Amino acid sequence: MKADKLSNIMKPLLESLIAIIIGVVIGAVVLKVSGYSPVEAYAALVKGAVGSIYGWSMTLSSATPIILTGLTFAISARTGIFNIGAEGTVYFGAIAAIVFTNMFANPVLGLIGGIIAGILWALPAALLKVYRGVHEVISTIMLNWIAFYTALYLVLGPLANPNDPNKTLEVPASARLPLLMKGSELSLAFIIAIVAAVITYYILWHTVLGFELRASGYNERAAQYGGINPKRAIIWSFVIGGIMSGLAGATEVMGRPPSYAISQGMANIYGYGFDGIGVSLVGRNHPIGIIFSGIFFGALKAGATYMQIDAGVPLEMVKVVQGIIVVAVAVPGLWDLVKKVVRR
Amino acid sequence: MEEVPIIDMKGIVKIYPDGTKALKGVDFSVKQGEIHGLLGENGAGKTTLMKILSGMLPPTEGKIYVKGREVQFKSPADALANGIGMVHQHFTLVEVFDALHNIILGMEGHGHFSKIDVDNARKKLQKLMDELNFQVPLDVPVENLPVGVQQRIEILKVLYRNVDVLILDEPTAVLTPIEVKELFDVLRTLKEQGKTIIFISHKLREVMEITDRVTVLRKGEVIGTVNTSEATPQLLARMMVGRDVVLRIQKPPKEPGEPILRVENLWVKGDRGEDAVKGLSFEVRAGEIFGIAGVEGNGQTELIEAITGLRKIEKGKIILNGKDITGRPPKELYNLGVAHIPEDRTHMGLILDMTVAENAVLGLHWREEFTGILNSIRWSNVKEHAKKLIEKFDIVAPGVDAPVKSLSGGNQQKLIVAREVSKNPELIVASQPTRGVDVASTEYIRNYLVKLRNENKAVLLVSADLDEVLQLSDRMAIMYEGQFVGIVKPEEVTEEQIGLMMGGIKDES
Amino acid sequence: MIDMVVSILLGSLTAMVPIVLTSTGAVVSERAGVVNIGYEGILLMAALFGAMFAETSGNAWIGLLGGAFIGMLLGMLHGAITVYLKGDHIIPGIGVNILALGVVAFGIPAIWGTAGQHQVPTNFRIQPLINTQYGSLSPMIPITFAIVFITHWVLFNTPLGLRIRAVGENPEAADALGVNVERYRFLATVYGATLAGLGGAYLSVDWLGVVTKEISSGRGFIALANMVFSGWNPVRALIGGFIFGFFDNLSVWVRTNPAISQIIPWQFVAILPYIVTIIIVAGIIGKVRPPKWDGRPYKRE
Repeated sequence: MKADKLSNIMKPLLESLIAIIIGVVIGAVVLKVSGYSPVEAYAALVKGAVGSIYGWSMTLSSATPIILTGLTFAISARTGIFNIGAEGTVYFGAIAAIVFTNMFANPVLGLIGGIIAGILWALPAALLKVYRGVHEVISTIMLNWIAFYTALYLVLGPLANPNDPNKTLEVPASARLPLLMKGSELSLAFIIAIVAAVITYYILWHTVLGFELRASGYNERAAQYGGINPKRAIIWSFVIGGIMSGLAGATEVMGRPPSYAISQGMANIYGYGFDGIGVSLVGRNHPIGIIFSGIFFGALKAGATYMQIDAGVPLEMVKVVQGIIVVAVAVPGLWDLVKKVVRR
Repeated sequence: MEEVPIIDMKGIVKIYPDGTKALKGVDFSVKQGEIHGLLGENGAGKTTLMKILSGMLPPTEGKIYVKGREVQFKSPADALANGIGMVHQHFTLVEVFDALHNIILGMEGHGHFSKIDVDNARKKLQKLMDELNFQVPLDVPVENLPVGVQQRIEILKVLYRNVDVLILDEPTAVLTPIEVKELFDVLRTLKEQGKTIIFISHKLREVMEITDRVTVLRKGEVIGTVNTSEATPQLLARMMVGRDVVLRIQKPPKEPGEPILRVENLWVKGDRGEDAVKGLSFEVRAGEIFGIAGVEGNGQTELIEAITGLRKIEKGKIILNGKDITGRPPKELYNLGVAHIPEDRTHMGLILDMTVAENAVLGLHWREEFTGILNSIRWSNVKEHAKKLIEKFDIVAPGVDAPVKSLSGGNQQKLIVAREVSKNPELIVASQPTRGVDVASTEYIRNYLVKLRNENKAVLLVSADLDEVLQLSDRMAIMYEGQFVGIVKPEEVTEEQIGLMMGGIKDES
Repeated sequence: MIDMVVSILLGSLTAMVPIVLTSTGAVVSERAGVVNIGYEGILLMAALFGAMFAETSGNAWIGLLGGAFIGMLLGMLHGAITVYLKGDHIIPGIGVNILALGVVAFGIPAIWGTAGQHQVPTNFRIQPLINTQYGSLSPMIPITFAIVFITHWVLFNTPLGLRIRAVGENPEAADALGVNVERYRFLATVYGATLAGLGGAYLSVDWLGVVTKEISSGRGFIALANMVFSGWNPVRALIGGFIFGFFDNLSVWVRTNPAISQIIPWQFVAILPYIVTIIIVAGIIGKVRPPKWDGRPYKRE
């Protein structure tokens, strides 16, 4: 029994590790084929990400938003749905935080703004799913694009910074999240992400709501029989997910120096939603696993800059590695498969 | 010299991946041209043995000989190529295809890209149907055809492939008595044409009527093979059950009390939008078991789901203890004293991926004893509750943290019964409470339902197992096409009368 | 007036090609029971590699075939995971989409040394059949129509089509009759992804003539929506594709039309195809019926 329980935890962990190894190895092949030195590239990456305290601070600050968006995906997956709308929600979380902090100059209200925006932008997909049966993958992707263009309009128009054409209005200094380390990008935002993960864990496994979310995720019909309203579960799952992504956007503009704003092409808030899916999958859709995989992916992001500077490899290379890892995680029974191949 | 049997299975052992030993060294042989009955209780291994013979399952050990030649089947197609075809209890038809395309699938003609020669197939099928003396519509999507017709399509599908040996798994389970008679006529015609038929059943009367020889299986072992002409139902029953008579449930007489559940002019639609329940009215009283018998698919499922809040009610009223509960959701009904043992254990009654403890509180997890501040779950109390259920109902489980799917079917069902009873309900709705459950658990569950009745609870029992309804009910209804053909007392009717009612015919005498 | 109609018609036909090709492929794949939400990623990667193949070979048609080839490989990956390893149908698609974001972002600078986007030179692009002052007609348009009608005919009239539909509706029934469920599911998956690959290469070496990180713009998902709209029917996907193509083209046209973009910000026109998609899908559901075993792995007992 005990050994059984252990292997229940160890196996997914091992499979995630194997997926990471596969990603790194194939990544090396891609580097080689593209004419770079894999050793040099990876060395630069590792050194940049974890070779110094500053590197660590970059790794953790890069992990912050993707831990939060990872939680969005995880809580939906635990409810049996695929909410891939974190991407669009992040934009509105960031925009709301800028608006709220500029109105109230208060960090708490800024975060609340992000949360409200997150909930509001998560609701259309939830309601379309519950009342019209629209598959959430289609609706959330469409909403991501709608969010992208709408946010772009706001960023370039109403929220444009009159003093700096490259970005929006800034979060006022009084509403910024305190830094954990002077001169770094690491702020209280990271702590917020960790607390969010722990709360998500607590909700899922220690509350009636979590019980009902997981029950409808496993078997909607049986949940309904068990007095649970699966529609309510789906809406809650979207709402909690929206809160997490909204926070991701808000903390990114409130706690990530130097910009404290959204850049003109939204580059500094773009892509976190999709990164979060990978973080969640590698973290096995478990909030605690997500903290670790979030830090891993954060390290990739932080190290990528050094890889570009020191080894001359385009920093997008890490996205290839990330993509391969996610594909590898999707292979079921990876560990058994590896065992079989090794035995042969 | 003795003739070579057309089918000869030697020392067949089947161990499922979960460790269940379904067959423990079975020898089974069938003569050319006979109708051979395969008799046994639920879980005796009949279906497993035949799935092995038809290539659906590989045996763990043992050999199969067809006409004296050893064969190894990797798939049902291999078995078909060797002249063996099986009609399963649950039909394997592509619902949206018509009969013709269902039948020709896999042998449509030459090449992948040529146009299917529908006319030629139709001609061949017409000839086949003429020989068998029955007709089925070839151009209607099979989902729109009654089960009796679907079964004939299954038979045609197998015969179209020129099989010599036809295996039928519990073919009468879904049929009315009249359809059964028609099926038997078809089987006799097939026998005249020289086909060999293996007939799986647990119904003694049918086996006595149609077969030439019978092999009886019990708990994965062959008890014996006898010539039907030399057998009696009593002998077969003894072989099948392993003791003289099926234990009668002890049920003291009891005067029922106030009506607990009242159903008034209830109309409910089925999944395909058809009227499944058509204006039913009845009541279940305290201290009474009200049984509903009938061939499956006559609206029982929809009726139960409507009463338990899982299906929309089109018209009519449901009243519990004088309170109108029409259209209320399950949670509210449970809080008002309804418990529901659902017919589908694995897809509805339990969440297989969750633990025993979690399943032990499903549907009462919101109760005060299991929750703390901020709606948190008090796991210690939940586990305590699960342990109590396990103890009280003698459930075999590796522990309360084990996934519920690691329990055997019988123990899963006992867990459901235990949980529902622990809701301390006034009305227990039990649908197929012993289906696919081992004999010991069946007895336990049946006795428990009687115990609840003796404690003055109201029990609504739906079962396709006629014996179960007859034995347990104080009053029983026979359901046919969404209506009750009659409400009777079990001791006042003959099985023949009930058989007729199940076919929609009310005996007025 | 006439010229506007002709121009809108030609534009819609041009824009419908990638959506229709992908939808048709998705119809076949899902008719066989395999859901693939990775078409977006396939479109992206095929656009990148299609352009690369076209420029290295010097022939735009090789580019199109190269895109289809990339689609085929990704389809084989998806088929291996879902059909043979019985994995979840959604997650590998998510993986391919994320992979594509990385591959294209890395590929553009790695292959062409430019950041952000690459312009495909005109001589490596498919030349139009007809060039009018209102727009042009690509040879891929009649080819797309032909693919749709042939696919439709095969799906509903031949043994191959019957088997593909059978394994998506009731694989157990098909298996019992000796139809190799895995093989047909795999082939249908690969076919679907191959068509998407062709559509992706069309984006870069024909219609738009560029490779960017956002070139697919959600068309892979719009194609899935169109598939639902079509009721899993290729010919009806052609009609739906025209509607989606119309709005797609409209938003491109408005964006480049200064007279209008002064009144309405172009971003609000750009969201049109996505809003239309949501509305159409929300309206059609309940009126169409997906294959019964769609998205469910099949394991014999």
